[in-house]
Amino acid sequence: MWLPIFGLILGVMLGLLTDIRIPDEYSNYLSIAVLAALDTLLGGMRAYLQNLYDEKVFVSGFFFNIILAASLAFLGVHLGVDLYLAAVFAFGVRLFQNIAVIRRILLSKWSKSPEKNL
Amino acid sequence: MKKDIKWGFTGISIIVGLMLAIQFQTVKQPKIKDTRDGWELRTQILAEQQMQSKLLTEIRELEEQASSYETKRSHNKESALKQTLNELKQEAGQTKVTGEGIVIKIKPLPEAELLGETIHSISPELLERLLNEINMYNAEHISINGQRVINTTVIREINGEPKIGGFSLGSYPITVRVLSSNAQNLHDRIKVSKVIEQFFIDNLSVEISDPVKELAVPSYQNPLKIKYLEPAGQE
Repeated sequence: MWLPIFGLILGVMLGLLTDIRIPDEYSNYLSIAVLAALDTLLGGMRAYLQNLYDEKVFVSGFFFNIILAASLAFLGVHLGVDLYLAAVFAFGVRLFQNIAVIRRILLSKWSKSPEKNL
Repeated sequence: MKKDIKWGFTGISIIVGLMLAIQFQTVKQPKIKDTRDGWELRTQILAEQQMQSKLLTEIRELEEQASSYETKRSHNKESALKQTLNELKQEAGQTKVTGEGIVIKIKPLPEAELLGETIHSISPELLERLLNEINMYNAEHISINGQRVINTTVIREINGEPKIGGFSLGSYPITVRVLSSNAQNLHDRIKVSKVIEQFFIDNLSVEISDPVKELAVPSYQNPLKIKYLEPAGQE
């Protein structure tokens, strides 16, 4: 359970220490990609808690979602329509849903475990 | 958690963390606040504009040169080469040059001679300072006592005797000839320059002639030693 959190912290440290910066024009794409990645991460956690987790689905979904979101933003820039908003909306909604499901599962787990102890 | 699940999750979360950090750094990038006021910005713009116009002139000159080479090359290869050689020789001080310029004469101060003070020979540092000053005011060709001053000319003291490229400068007066396309300007600026006062401290007087229309500066007489240059290979 702790390993992924440790990985997250490691990644943040790595990024801050190496001082990598991307050009301003691409920061839009990266923000969309970050959103997609977060969504996938939370989706993976939910799936794990629901015992539906599949490594292949998770890893492929991660990369596929990022690429899809970035290409949608790219298409939007070229069409002159803010298509990235579609990605923001979709991922945002899913993010909330996933968090809600995770919360419910965790809550039910916690409320069950004291009963066992009693 | 199963082992393989752990590693997949960890890898993905490292990537997510990295992306987050990069995005964070990119967004907060303009950390330094620009506190310059309008006036400072205006001077900055002016400086940049001057730089731009200077560069543009340079580009135009080089382009003209290139196009003249191009036309000359198609006409006559040899004459183009000869002209280039002459231009380079002139730049390196290998030719006699005549033109507008001023003559600066350095003599012992008569009052000091009257008082019986010993007049030392001119110090190389003082002479170098004078040359630097002259060069600062757009001098093009300089000679000292008939010795052409080029980029590699050395002024130094050998056994207490000031020498320029091996020629002694022990006796007075010392004559400095300076050619410049704007001799009047050079004359005016040198006249009020601080370096003249430095000469006065050394009991030397500096006499600056009015601009002369036809002034000759001899060529550099010693062979030029080229240590590090090599002919480029054929491409």
